[in-house]
Amino acid sequence: MRVKVWGARGSVPSPGPMMNRYGGNTSCVQVTLGSGEDLILDAGTGIRTLGLGLATAPKVNILLTHLHLDHIQGLMFFPPCFRPDVEITIWGPASPEASLEDRVARYISAPLSPVEVRELPCSVSFRDTPPSEWQIGSATIHAEAVNHRGPTLGFRIVDGDTALCYIPDHEPALGASLADLEPEWVSGYDLARDADLLIHDCQYTDEEYPAHIGWGHSRIDDALTFANRVGARRLLLFHHDPLHSDDFLDDLHATARRRWAELGADPTLLEMGMEGGQLEVTPAPASAGVTA
Amino acid sequence: MGLMAAQKPLELILARNLLTSISTPALLLDHHGGMVFYNEAAGALLGRPFEDAGRMSPEDWISTHGPFGDDGKPIPLDDIPATQAVRKGRPAHGVSRIRSAGGAEHEVESSTFPIVASEEGSSGAMVLFWPLGANGGEEAQG
Repeated sequence: MRVKVWGARGSVPSPGPMMNRYGGNTSCVQVTLGSGEDLILDAGTGIRTLGLGLATAPKVNILLTHLHLDHIQGLMFFPPCFRPDVEITIWGPASPEASLEDRVARYISAPLSPVEVRELPCSVSFRDTPPSEWQIGSATIHAEAVNHRGPTLGFRIVDGDTALCYIPDHEPALGASLADLEPEWVSGYDLARDADLLIHDCQYTDEEYPAHIGWGHSRIDDALTFANRVGARRLLLFHHDPLHSDDFLDDLHATARRRWAELGADPTLLEMGMEGGQLEVTPAPASAGVTA
Repeated sequence: MGLMAAQKPLELILARNLLTSISTPALLLDHHGGMVFYNEAAGALLGRPFEDAGRMSPEDWISTHGPFGDDGKPIPLDDIPATQAVRKGRPAHGVSRIRSAGGAEHEVESSTFPIVASEEGSSGAMVLFWPLGANGGEEAQG
């Protein structure tokens, strides 16, 4: 399984010279399965650049964790949407309020958009994620509700012997003591358990978090505690705050690695989500390595 | 995956987090009607903390804590408002008698709120208690 990060930023795109290395695009991750298919995790602004390289793909699967703007804003600028030969399936959380299509259409419609969903040249379908596992290519996918604001999913993607868990927006420690809770009471535990790679929210430093309790995101300490509790072999910190510059994130990375080591884990297996970063994910921890 | 209990649905996790944070005695039922958690205030009322009691089946709960009718006998499971709340996904409110682990009886007013997150039905229910009378919460004081 190969993973490429096209956008690692949370909340709002944050371009600028101070953000060049980690990037300013919002959440989007490409997962290339052993069978060759691509899964696209979230459609933040990073999906626009990703789409430029999907010139020949006839089928595209996009898995949305939730419908906050930083996870769908790139949809309208995703080049395959404008190709009549492409079939796009968009998976996302169900809601009792309205269908997935109707909720996405609130964004892709006037006055926010010059086009409507029904006008897109591609063939697009919207699917609520099923309560049980389902298959795309060689991957078995499981979606589960996790603690964030509004209906929000995390995904566990198993391809052969390799398990990837993607929970970009998550506040598992809200109203709970993560270190002490039994596993069955930890949001996202089953999704992330023993994952070969866990991509997880780490929007705030421990100092910033008290002013953002209940906003649906994790501080460093909670992201690391969660990853440690679930036994993740490798951790990619994600959904960077738009105020965090490259230098700030370098410092955060160093802090996180130090604490990760204090928890008994290998600090070299903790990485920061970085736009353009690619990872080969394998079940053997020692053989997983960052290539860019 | 080992001998670990299945993970609770998010709505139950959030409900537990809420109950942990309030001072009203309250407990959490799963979709079978089993008691899976009660908070510190309920622990004071029931005479022992949840950490000591652990989760209980509906039958164990009824035989230990009630609710009891005027004749002092446990009310049958099917007749308990909380059971109906879990099974039918409807709220319930009433007055009943419960018994602490130490044998003290409390008259309590209780409200049960079903927790429904999908069309598949109730994930469980929250039950909140308000002790009535002079004896209410006596064990909470000491």
